[in-house]
Amino acid sequence: MKKRYLSILLMIVLIFSLTACSGGTGGGPDAVTLTIMGKKTDLAKNYMTRIFDQYEKTTGNRLEIIAYEDSEYEAAAADKFAKGELPDIFMHFNNADLNLFHAADNFLYLNDEEWVGDLTDSARAYCEDQDGNLLGLPFWESSVSGCYYNKTILDSLGLKPAATQAEFDMLCQALAEAGYTPICWPADGCSWMMQFGLDPVFADDPDMLDKINRNEITYADIPEVRDMVQWISDAAEKGWFGADYMETGWAEISPVMGSGEAVMTFIWDTWFYTDFEAGNKYGVDDFALMPVFMNTIDTGTYEGGNLNMMMVNKNGKQVDAARDFLSFCATAENYNAAFDGISTVSCFKGQTTNIQSDMVTDASASIAANIRVSTAASKIIGYSADDVAAAFRDMFLKKINVSGCIRRMDEKRIAIAESQGAEGFAG
Amino acid sequence: MRKGSGKIWLLFMVCVVGIAAISIGIIYYNFISHRIYEDSTDHLEEIYGQVNRSFGAFADTNWGLLNSWSSRLTHESGWQDEEFAEFISGEQKNWGFTDFYFLSKDMTGMTLEGSEEAVNLEEAREQLMERGEPVMAGETLSGGQEVTVFAVPVQHGRYKDFDYDAIAICYTNADLAVSLNVDAFSGKGRCFVIHNDGRVLLSTQEGGNVFENYLVYLQAVSDLDEEQIAQIQSDWKNGSAGLLQCEIGGSSHFILYQPVGYQDYFLLSAVPQSAVSSGFLSIQKATMNMLLVIFLLLGAAMTAMFFLRSYRQSRKSRMELQYRERMFDVLSNSVDDIFIMLNSEDQHVDYISPNIERLLGLSVGEVRENIKTLEKCAIGHDIIISKEELDGIALNGNRDWEYEYMHQTTGERRFYRMTAYRMSIQDVMKYIVVLSDRTLEKRMNQQLQEALTAARSANEAKSNFLSNMSHDIRTPMNAIVGFSVLLEKDADDADKVREYTRKITASSHHLLSLINDVLDMSKIESGKTSLNVDRFSLPELLEELNIILMPQAKAKGQDFRIHTQGAPPEQIIGDKLRLNQILINLLSNAIKYTQEGGQIEFTVCELPKAAPQFVKLRFVVKDNGIGISKEFQEHIFAPFSREISSVTNKIQGTGLGMAITKNLVDLMGGIIQVESTPGEGSTFTVELSFAIPEQADEELWYSQKVTRVLVADDEEEICLDVKEMMRDTGVEVSYVTDGASAVGMAVEAHERGEDYHVILLDWKMPGMNGVETARQIREKVGGHIPILVLTSYDWSEIETEARQAGINAFMPKPFFASTFWQTIRPMFYEYTEPQDDHTETAEGVMKGRRFLVAEDNELNAEILTEMLIIEGAQSELAVNGQQALEMFEKSEPGYYDMILMDVQMPVMNGYEATRRIRACRHPKAASIPIAAMTANTFAEDVRDAMDAGMDGHLAKPIDMDAVRQLVGRLLSQADQNGSELAAAERGNNG
Repeated sequence: MKKRYLSILLMIVLIFSLTACSGGTGGGPDAVTLTIMGKKTDLAKNYMTRIFDQYEKTTGNRLEIIAYEDSEYEAAAADKFAKGELPDIFMHFNNADLNLFHAADNFLYLNDEEWVGDLTDSARAYCEDQDGNLLGLPFWESSVSGCYYNKTILDSLGLKPAATQAEFDMLCQALAEAGYTPICWPADGCSWMMQFGLDPVFADDPDMLDKINRNEITYADIPEVRDMVQWISDAAEKGWFGADYMETGWAEISPVMGSGEAVMTFIWDTWFYTDFEAGNKYGVDDFALMPVFMNTIDTGTYEGGNLNMMMVNKNGKQVDAARDFLSFCATAENYNAAFDGISTVSCFKGQTTNIQSDMVTDASASIAANIRVSTAASKIIGYSADDVAAAFRDMFLKKINVSGCIRRMDEKRIAIAESQGAEGFAG
Repeated sequence: MRKGSGKIWLLFMVCVVGIAAISIGIIYYNFISHRIYEDSTDHLEEIYGQVNRSFGAFADTNWGLLNSWSSRLTHESGWQDEEFAEFISGEQKNWGFTDFYFLSKDMTGMTLEGSEEAVNLEEAREQLMERGEPVMAGETLSGGQEVTVFAVPVQHGRYKDFDYDAIAICYTNADLAVSLNVDAFSGKGRCFVIHNDGRVLLSTQEGGNVFENYLVYLQAVSDLDEEQIAQIQSDWKNGSAGLLQCEIGGSSHFILYQPVGYQDYFLLSAVPQSAVSSGFLSIQKATMNMLLVIFLLLGAAMTAMFFLRSYRQSRKSRMELQYRERMFDVLSNSVDDIFIMLNSEDQHVDYISPNIERLLGLSVGEVRENIKTLEKCAIGHDIIISKEELDGIALNGNRDWEYEYMHQTTGERRFYRMTAYRMSIQDVMKYIVVLSDRTLEKRMNQQLQEALTAARSANEAKSNFLSNMSHDIRTPMNAIVGFSVLLEKDADDADKVREYTRKITASSHHLLSLINDVLDMSKIESGKTSLNVDRFSLPELLEELNIILMPQAKAKGQDFRIHTQGAPPEQIIGDKLRLNQILINLLSNAIKYTQEGGQIEFTVCELPKAAPQFVKLRFVVKDNGIGISKEFQEHIFAPFSREISSVTNKIQGTGLGMAITKNLVDLMGGIIQVESTPGEGSTFTVELSFAIPEQADEELWYSQKVTRVLVADDEEEICLDVKEMMRDTGVEVSYVTDGASAVGMAVEAHERGEDYHVILLDWKMPGMNGVETARQIREKVGGHIPILVLTSYDWSEIETEARQAGINAFMPKPFFASTFWQTIRPMFYEYTEPQDDHTETAEGVMKGRRFLVAEDNELNAEILTEMLIIEGAQSELAVNGQQALEMFEKSEPGYYDMILMDVQMPVMNGYEATRRIRACRHPKAASIPIAAMTANTFAEDVRDAMDAGMDGHLAKPIDMDAVRQLVGRLLSQADQNGSELAAAERGNNG
């Protein structure tokens, strides 16, 4: 009942907005041209081109796309910002690199925009700064990272997914007893897993995130970090990653999981639609989702998607038009039209046309309870997934111990932060 | 045989003990394992039985509570909802359940607070609601929380407008797990409350549960087969307990299930056997380890004993082998046979006696490494050990070879007989090769052969000798006999008599010399020759040689010269007689075999001294005569060897001279060499060592104020010799090479007031000769300076002229300082003007003298008597020594002037007679000259004669010249002694 009222209300708002926009710009003499800057591949996404086309067709305004090669984007954008040549709309992920562009000074806070309430919690959380200000509109395909497991195997063994870290350990032990590799851990070049474990540590304690970003504490000072590293080390020792995990890389995840050699892996749902090739035994339907357990939080965690935001240059001459563009995009009709048939987790509560995996849907309750914004990789200044992965490799190779691994992670992080001139870091 | 039995017995015992030990171990292990299994399962059943009972009691308690609370819900109780809620809240605190529910028939639950919750209870629902029985069931609450519900039916009631027919309480499974957790097995066991189909109601594991159906898990993971699974299912269906053992995840587990007693629940536990039996297993392990250790120790002890025994036997065998090898080494070292043992397959050297190093100069190692090394010693043979040849030897047979081997370090060659034996040693074919040193045998054979050859040669030589002797003796004898016959026939013809007599005399002398040489050679070869070593003057020896040989050389018109080189000592110690004999032999040969007008040069030089007390002299006799052929040079020193040529055949000789010379040189420890070219001449070199007496007083010359000497000789070498010889005397020697210069030097010195103290002049100098030079010096300087003529010629022909010219004395060449001193000493003691030197000749020395002749041989006595008569002397004959003694003793002093004593006489020999004469009381016993006159002519005979007290020695046959010379000397000495004695007596009397 409530949903129906809300839908009617949104439709009225949309109609009003569209009418207003059409009347305001209409392609006539008052039509504006908005500049929007982003990575070439990002801007070429079909849902982006759809919304751009739809906007221009609907409003008569024009969008001037300023696209850079992905590898050149950060530098080019920094150059533009340095010269004061800011676009009306700037596209960027809400990660640590955004600090380079001094969001508070350059971008409009969008806390009071009408569409804010339509954002899913995780999407909104991702787009906020450390003070809770909404920096941009998340208009992006998203996914849920968690522990994807072969439910068929679990069923065949009379096992069920874990709900706690202890159960996850039991599950790993039971799977190992059954002769399976409990976790597919691609130590060769795959660097994303550790951030899943770190997310709850920093997402649940913003103060800790602030301290580490001000260089007041290090990983070594955080017990949960040590718990995680120790658990990963122990898991490797117990054989839970299998025998060949040091040689397992991105390309091997699919065959290992598809063949049933390994039962679980820490990945995101869209991977099953982009990279997973069904093996002889198991396909996408054989998998299900449970939280990632890495001994940092007992109930496990999911990581929300990393979302590309569209931000408004508050110092530009067309701030209102830019706000209107964001509102256009945040309209249910428009975003549903844009994301029609796109496999993604919803960023908007009214998002209905996108395709969301059953795995995510089935675990929605658990996801809702345990999901966290991607924090470690995005918010920790100097965090480098590759550096962290390299430290773990050395630990797996017994070159360093747990303490050494943590120390290495800190050293690399601090070195990057220093090179970026981050506040609180010497040099 | 006994050793073999012992080994078999030992092996048998080891096997028996080993099998027994293994059997005992297996039996014990099985027994222990069985006991452990029983004890473990008992333990397991006891523990989980207790858990089961606890869980049952827990369920009963909960159901009891629920039943007791149900009475408070009745109308009769009069309790209001709030009162009941308050009561239950109090009970919740007491019992710790999570929630309390009122349950409706549609299985909706309501909490005390009034909130609804779906409580399904599944199959327990019918039991609860329909059959009115208490139930226990698992539930997942709306928040996902897993709980276990205990429910009992109650009288229908209403709570807060909620109709209920049952009440329930629930516990979270996590809480139940804590209360039911079994720590008995270190938390390694899993314990579940399950349905009879395997579904897990709750797990006792802390932290949660991931097992949904443990039977499925067992089927998938364990090694239980279908039958066993079916048995489990049957048990569960029938509510039966069970216990089994299976593998899960590679480790053994106990699976125990017991019915809980309510509904169809079972308490199932899965515990690793290692956890259940850890205590027992540790005991078992310790026991087995101990047993294992004991068995190992026993085994080790037996093995050690076995090895010790084997080692001892092996060591004993090894020691015996070493002992035998050592003994064999020692034995082989003491013999000259080399032993080698070869393997027939590859000719590997198993043994080689160490004496190979001594005998062949090869190391044991190199031969052991390769037997072919032996072949490099064999002279003229590349292969001495051929496998084919060795293989050709019959089993237990042998074969011999003989090779000459060269010692690899000394180069010595030795003959070895190599004998190879083929034999089987412990079923292995071996060759034993023995190299026997046959060098001695070989050499002995050679020596025998040589001896045989030598004997034949000697026999041949003897025959030759006899032939030669026959010829050589018969030749002069023929002359003697023939001319004696002619003498008798032509006795009236004085010229022919003299001619025949001369020829008889010559032949006699030749025969005599032949006999002397033969006897001398015979004595030398028989080893009876000894040296008579004494101090003598080398200059005197050379002077005597000069006196003896110069006339012979002069007779052939030869140039005979004697030189010295260096500064040979004047006094040496040696056998003068033998040295004289050697040199006379060489020099007389040189003269003999050098043509008329030829040159003979005799040089004496001192070789470097090896020690200060000895001098080594080299005597070189060089001529330019007919020379000696190469062939003859090789056996020139062999007896009776004479070179046959047209020249030598004309020269008489015994062929023994050089042999005697060589033997004498050998006797004196010297060497003799000859170099010669036929037609050009020969050079004989003799090197001999002599002891030297202490040096003379070098101050002698200075004390006699002889410090400056002038020498004049056209041969500068002579001048330098003089200078060299006078080097150590402190005398300054100036020299010139012609007479005029000598005159000039003498005048010049005189004018300076520094006259020469002595002037030495050569006789034959070109231009102004020595005599003329002396005359001019006397004219210009005066007669106060002694002038001597140095010559190697016979100066008798110029002596008168020379003395008239003012020459004081003559000195023979070569120059010796001692001779020089002897010559000039009288001049400085009492200088007198030169006057004619008058020396009594030997002629007439015996005239008027009376001789006592002791001679047993009538003929010899007659000859001697007649000869003495011819000399104008008288003689009285004694036929033996005894008679001679008696005749002397009876004679008046001075009656006999001299005794001529034969040596070999009957009754009393000459030596004894002489000793008696010397010892008798006759006044002339000590002074009367006694001369031996004997056929014993060797040096030893001369020495014996002197030792007996004789004063001289005359060899038979009698040479009257020699008799005259000796008698003259002895009588002169006796006369002088007699005068001195008379003077002394006169002095004593006066």
